Parts: sequence; C-alpha cells; structure tokens
Amino acid sequence: MNYLKLITFSLKAVGALLACALLQTSALAANASHQAGEATAGAQAWAEVCGRCHNVRAPTDFTDAEWEPIVTHMRVRAGMTGQESRDVLTFLQAANSPNIQVAAVQKTSAGDGSGQTGKAIYEQTCQACHGADGRGPIPGVPDFTTPSGVLSKSEAVLLKNIRDGYQSPGASMAMPAKGGNPSLGESDLQRVLEYIQSRFGKGGE
Amino acid sequence: MGKLFFNAIATLIILASGNMQAMAASQEAQVKELKSKVESLEAELGEMKARLDQLLQADSPESKVAELEDRLNDVEIQQQEWESSDSSVHLAGYAAAGYTNRENEVDSFGGLNFNPIFHYQYKDFLLFESELEFEIAEDGETEVALEYASIDLLFSDYATLLAGKFQSPLGQFRQNIHPAWINKFPSAPPGFGHDGAAPTAEVGLQLRGGFKTEGATRFNYAAYVGNGPELELNPSGDEIEAVGTEGFTSNADDNPAYGGRVAVLPIPSLELGVSGATSRVALDGERDRSYSVLGADFWWQWMQYQMRGEYVRQEVGSESLSVAPEGQEWESWYVQGSYRLPSMPWEGVVRYSDFESTHDDQSQEQWGVGVNYLFASNVIWKLAYEFNDGLTGTSNDSDRFLTQITYGF
Repeated sequence: MNYLKLITFSLKAVGALLACALLQTSALAANASHQAGEATAGAQAWAEVCGRCHNVRAPTDFTDAEWEPIVTHMRVRAGMTGQESRDVLTFLQAANSPNIQVAAVQKTSAGDGSGQTGKAIYEQTCQACHGADGRGPIPGVPDFTTPSGVLSKSEAVLLKNIRDGYQSPGASMAMPAKGGNPSLGESDLQRVLEYIQSRFGKGGE
Repeated sequence: MGKLFFNAIATLIILASGNMQAMAASQEAQVKELKSKVESLEAELGEMKARLDQLLQADSPESKVAELEDRLNDVEIQQQEWESSDSSVHLAGYAAAGYTNRENEVDSFGGLNFNPIFHYQYKDFLLFESELEFEIAEDGETEVALEYASIDLLFSDYATLLAGKFQSPLGQFRQNIHPAWINKFPSAPPGFGHDGAAPTAEVGLQLRGGFKTEGATRFNYAAYVGNGPELELNPSGDEIEAVGTEGFTSNADDNPAYGGRVAVLPIPSLELGVSGATSRVALDGERDRSYSVLGADFWWQWMQYQMRGEYVRQEVGSESLSVAPEGQEWESWYVQGSYRLPSMPWEGVVRYSDFESTHDDQSQEQWGVGVNYLFASNVIWKLAYEFNDGLTGTSNDSDRFLTQITYGF
C-alpha cells in the first residue's frame, strides 16, 4: 500500500468516525426532545399510510412489544416522520387489547364521557377510517350511506359493535373497540352513534 | 343330702364369682378399647379441625387478595421489564406456495418460498432489519439468499441512515410491493423481477425519510451510494445480456453508483414518485462505460378501487473497444388496477405490462387478470391468468394459469 492511499484511507476512516459520532449525538438529541405519540393522529396516519402498499393489519394482530419494531420498520419503508410513527404506535398499542381496556374504562368513566359532540368525536376518532363522507375510503370499511348497510342494524347492536370492536363479514381488518380511543365513555358512544345515524343514515345528508 | 346341696350351692357361687370376674375383666377391656377409639377419634377430629381452619383461612377474602396481589406484582414486574427493555425483537416474514399451468408445458406445483424477516430494535434510534429468502429450485435444491440486511440509524424524525444491503429504492415494486402477501398478482410484472429493467438491491449507504407540510401534503425521499451493478455477458461472450443488480459486496470497476427517489403525496390517496441512478460500469479489464436508470411511479386509491403503475428504464452505454461493444437498454412499465368488493373478501385485479429489451428473447407484453380471496388481510389465495406475447417459441410467448396461497406474518 503506498503512502498516498494510506493517508486517503485514514482520512476517510476518521471522517466516517466523526460522522458516526455526530449522527449518534443527533439521534440522542432528537429522541430526547421528541413528543409523545397521540392516538387520534395515529389512527389517521395508520389508515392513510399503511394501505399504500399492503392490506391494513388489525391492531390486534400483534402485541405492544411486537408493534414497536414493526412500526419502526414501516417508518423506514413508508417514509413516515418520527412523530407519525410514534402516533401510529400509540394508537396500535391502545387499540390492540380491547376487552381489558373497555373494562378499565367502564370502571373509571362510569358511563360518562368527554363531553364532546358526536361530530367532534367522529372527526377525531372515526373519520380516519370511515371517511368524512361515511363511505369508508379504506377497502373493507363499510359504506354508512348504503340504504340496507350497517346502519340498518338496531341501535343496541351498533352500540355494542362500537364499544367492543367489530369485524364486518368479509372485511380483512377489524374496527378496534371504541375506534381505538379507550377514553370514550358510554355517553360519547351514544352521541357519536346519533351523529352517524343522523348524518349518514336514513334521513341523513 | 344336705351336705350335697351345700356343696352344689358353694360350687355355683364360686362359678358365678369367677364369671363375674371374667365379665368385669371383659368390660374393662371394652372400656379401654372404647377409650382408645375415642382418643383416636379426638385426634382425627383435631387434625380435621386444623385442616378445616387452614382451608377456611386459605379461602378467606384476605388470603385470596394477598395471593392475587402477589401474582399481580409478578405480572407487573414482567410487564415493566418488557416496557423498560432497551431492545425489542420481532420475527416477521411471509411464505407462499403455488401451482402453474403454462401453455404447452407440464403443470407443476412450485413457487414455494419462505422469507423470514428479522427486526431488532435498540431504543428509539437503531433498527437492524434483515430478510432471508428460502426457495426450492426446480431440481429440488433449496436456495438461500440474503434479500437485505441493514442497520438503520434513526438520527432525526425526518431522516434515517441505512448501512448494509438494502432493496433498491428506485420505484415502488422492488422495495415495497414484491412480497407475495403484498403483491396482488402471483407473479412480478415482466422487467421487475431479477435481471430485468428494475434494479433489485444495492450494498452501500442510504439516506431516507419523509416530512409533512402544514396541510395534508407528504413527501418521502431516498438517496444512496453503493457498489453499483455488474455487467453479465451472453454465453458467446459478445453481448451484454443483463445487468446484475442483486447487491454486490465488491466493486470490480471501482465506480460507485448514486441514485434515489423522491415522491409527493398531494393528498393522502395519491402518491407520485420519480427515481434515477447513475454510475460507470466496465467488464473485467475494460474501459468504463455509462450506466443509468430512470423511473416514475404512482399509486392512487378511491373507495374500494386501487391503481398503481411504474415505469423504469435501465441503460448501459456502448464501448467500442469492448468484447461486447454495443450498448443495451431494458425498459418496462406496468399499470395495475384492483377492486375490492365492499364487505366481502373478494378482490379483482387487472394488470398490463410491457417489457422491452434490445434482446428480443427477453421482451414480453403481458395482460393479466386475477381474482383474490382474502381469508384475512395477510392470508390470501390468488388465482390469475396471464396472456403473454413474446418471441415465438420462447416461454415468454406462452400464456399461463397461476394460483398461489400466501401468508404474511
């Protein structure tokens, strides 16, 4: 090896080491300052980003611990921002154990809710998958506006489906309990159902 | 007579007295036995009482709560260990098996592959990801390939640095759509498989990420530098037959390749991307010649309809002093539309592809129609028919029926 090549190689190696140190510092600084994930934004990102390449997987497909590296992998693949991936992870981890969460929420909320209007709840929790027009922009999500569609079921059944989660026959993904938002109480569910029925059901827009 | 009577009476008295003594002794024995039995019963009763006390104590609400608290504590500790662990691991992947009936050929089961994917994450800033491909060849041999293996440093919310072997970020199909459970068709579009028009992998460094504007517009990007492709000669050694882009750990011509892709999503249901790569390549001991790739892709979804398409052109320049002086081009594009029946597990797919090569035996035009049944979003059975038009007499010219069952996990 001649001296010129040795010097060039050494300079490259030192440059690479400095770059690595800089990157690690940046990574630690970025991770120290990042915001926690937000479930509602996560539901929307989950609905919008995942379906670009593949059929959307249900939150219940994996455990909290498994979703962590999966979402990081998808962040790299789909070009999600770090904040989007934290939001999606928060949503998936909140939505993948519906029974326990529903029980916990029922204990704490005692049937009361956030006090938000049905419209506000729909926009924050349901719209990501069901769409602003209720037609379900994601394959497998039912169209609320179909006259003999899901909204023709009884109110009790619809409330139960919203509360416990539901997988439409033939759908490849399930709606998580309370749309993946465990903070909703019984009165919230009632109000959002009333909004959905009035907006998209018979006599709606 | 009187004496005799007296003796008899005396004898009777003696006998009665002896009998009474015997009876008294017997009664005493019985009393002892009874006493022993009572003592034994008392002991048993005492034991039973003690056991009953134990049982009652064990079944008391206080003891149950204490036991549950202990168990909950154990579970909490285990849960905290999972949550506080710096590392997380996940084994993912996909598998597929198929059946092919090609015109004028014998039917066969095949297309059997198993692709485990490993994810190891350290804290929030490092991910190692790797995919292996196990495939059974026609001769029954198992072939193994490392599809990709990269260490990803997530050093910013908007950028990740990958080092290692990664799938080519040019276009969409090779990097994101080719896994069997994702691809809606049982086969890859002509030109997007191995040795086609689209590069498959690269070894080097890649910077990729995405960002979002205040509105709904998203952007994503990827840029890389790597060892680049290698040229492959035809059997007679006078033409470049293909460009090897599987990702090499050597750089025989000492020329790095540079490339990347940028994409915009003006609305969440539409993605538009452009790709490009450039390098210099050379056959062993020859002078360099140009190498370039250009591509464009799109994805669009409306309700249950989904459409995607991709164009790619790969070109190698001429070199007059080479044993294979002519330049070569490989160009391919496809458009694929699919429709998912509402609230039903059925999906229809139509795909048109056209692969043009300067080698006529490689070119192929294809129409494909297919029906998919989704047992679940990640378990899919596919049935398809390809209408192929290629050089007469080659397999590229024969139509074929394909079916495949695939599972993504």
